[in-house]
Amino acid sequence: MKKKMTYLFCAVLMLGIALAGFRPNAAEAAGGAVKIALIIESTVDDKGWCQAMHDGILQAQKELPGRIEYSYSEKMKPVDAGSAVLQYVSQGYHIIIGHGAQYKNLMLEMAEEYPDVTFAFGTSAEIGPENVFTYMPQSEETGYLSGLIAGMTTKKNTVGLVGPVDGGDAARYNRGFVLGVQAVNPKAKIMVAHTGSFADFVKAGEVAETQIKAGADVLTGSSQQALGALRAVADHRDAPIWWVGQDIAQIRITEGYKCIAASSYNYGAVIVSLVAKLDAGVRGGECIPLNFSNGGFVFAFNETLKNMYTGAVEQKVNETLEKFLATPDTLDWSAVDYSKL
Amino acid sequence: MDFTVNILALGIPFSVALLLASLGEMFNQRAGVFNLGCEGIMAMGAFLGMLVPYGAGHGAPVPGTFNVLGLLLAMAVGALLGLLFGLAVVTFRAPQGIAGIGLQMFGVGTAGTLFRHFVGGTQSVPGIDRLPIPVLSDIPFIGPVLFSHNPLVYLTFLLVPAAWYILFRTPWGLRVRASGANPRAADSVGIRVNLVRFQALAVGGALAGLAGAYLSLCQVKMFSDEIIAGRGFIAVALVYFGHWRPLKITGGALLFSFAQALQLAIQGQGIDFPYEFAVMLPYALVIVVLAFSRESLLLGPTALGKPFNREMRT
Repeated sequence: MKKKMTYLFCAVLMLGIALAGFRPNAAEAAGGAVKIALIIESTVDDKGWCQAMHDGILQAQKELPGRIEYSYSEKMKPVDAGSAVLQYVSQGYHIIIGHGAQYKNLMLEMAEEYPDVTFAFGTSAEIGPENVFTYMPQSEETGYLSGLIAGMTTKKNTVGLVGPVDGGDAARYNRGFVLGVQAVNPKAKIMVAHTGSFADFVKAGEVAETQIKAGADVLTGSSQQALGALRAVADHRDAPIWWVGQDIAQIRITEGYKCIAASSYNYGAVIVSLVAKLDAGVRGGECIPLNFSNGGFVFAFNETLKNMYTGAVEQKVNETLEKFLATPDTLDWSAVDYSKL
Repeated sequence: MDFTVNILALGIPFSVALLLASLGEMFNQRAGVFNLGCEGIMAMGAFLGMLVPYGAGHGAPVPGTFNVLGLLLAMAVGALLGLLFGLAVVTFRAPQGIAGIGLQMFGVGTAGTLFRHFVGGTQSVPGIDRLPIPVLSDIPFIGPVLFSHNPLVYLTFLLVPAAWYILFRTPWGLRVRASGANPRAADSVGIRVNLVRFQALAVGGALAGLAGAYLSLCQVKMFSDEIIAGRGFIAVALVYFGHWRPLKITGGALLFSFAQALQLAIQGQGIDFPYEFAVMLPYALVIVVLAFSRESLLLGPTALGKPFNREMRT
């Protein structure tokens, strides 16, 4: 009896392992539900980088009813993310997104090991293997709009920029901001400082406070750490110190009364595009850009601060938006040299 | 002139969280226990500090009592976590380094989990505003540098001489120092070494909790999982930097924070200098000072890190 039970247990175990190893491939997803897994280093409610992708996937779910099944893993350091990826692979996920350039090596390794699964990571302008998509926000466009607003709003001719690190889409946003300010106010002083971290919003607050003390009256910042800088701006409740955001969610929060306008990434467009490509049998080997032209960015003014932008600012922003919609990817952001500011 | 005033005026509030946590860690280490879990206690303090005013007002202004309650709760839970750490390293004589890392992970993880459960996403609170001292804050140069800060900044700097007095001029301070310097001798004259260590850990925990609450209630007025961002470990390093003495620790915290304010200001001037090096500057400064300190000054309390067992002969 004991022997039979042991055989039975082993048989059940092997069946379980075999079933766990069963993975529907991308071809099976065509027309059916696409299972998407998201791996992020922060949380889905960080009012920044990770929330933008999470919201985008939820939006794509609405746009493509019944087409997307979605799971996510938060607070995944790159060294821990491998086990989460393996779990998703074993559960038959079709697309696994590592949302951040820090997941590049992991995604490429996994893509080689599991050629039937589609992987995606960004920001990156690289073209990956045939089962890897990359995505790159051309965020110099959003930065440029913020720069136009800051350059036209500043009364002290001094604006501040709180960056996380000088890389990826943050570098593009920041340099776009500089170009925007210079386009409308060449004499404005632009103070650029980096915290060295995407998440340390205490330090971002310190940077913002330093810049305000040095005379900046319009500030901006990118990534989730920027929230600390916005908070520092909001601390100057009655002073004419303003913020231009890189996430529309910043308009709606308590500190939003300082936020004249904001742009957001619309990852919904990327996800819808990914599903369409999967349906068409394309499983990677492409970089998907985000820009205003392809719906990858959205922009909004803060309606409660209408008096701050009505007139010349609004007109300039709308003209520029139209230009971006017609001809994307035209700003030479990489030419900006901070040491010459 | 303005540049210098700005650096000094910003450096002082930047230093407060580090100073509070370092003073707490100094009491721990003076009693013979080094607590690497300071970061975890600070995270819990940061969360609990903002939880009370947030729970009362959901982001809207609340009476100052709630802010004070938040600070007190952060201190109370900090003290409890200090005692919990004491249970592990004093009573059960667990290795202090490993237990400290465990406490750090426990504190950061628990604060994040509770935050998600009770608050949800990143939320801000009105927090505690600056309180410029009338007349004094109007004095040129000195006013903005010394008298235009948050009430907790003034209290923290008053705490420095108080900590010195307690440590070097009171019987309890003597017991703390004896427990860290020569616990066997202390025991032989009737000092209950382990009890003193528990007391020091409670004080250290309370100050670390207050340091965390300062960040979430006074400096940035919001909480996120990453709020402490290594400041607990810097606080531990500052105790070595300050040779376990309150005034030197204050000097270290101020030096670090002025360097921080300076590097942020330099970055904003568009000087052609890699920002990565600028960000590194305060940390590099601490390492350089530690590296050039006399070895004898860096030895610290003789029994630091060693559990005390009165049943053992050595």
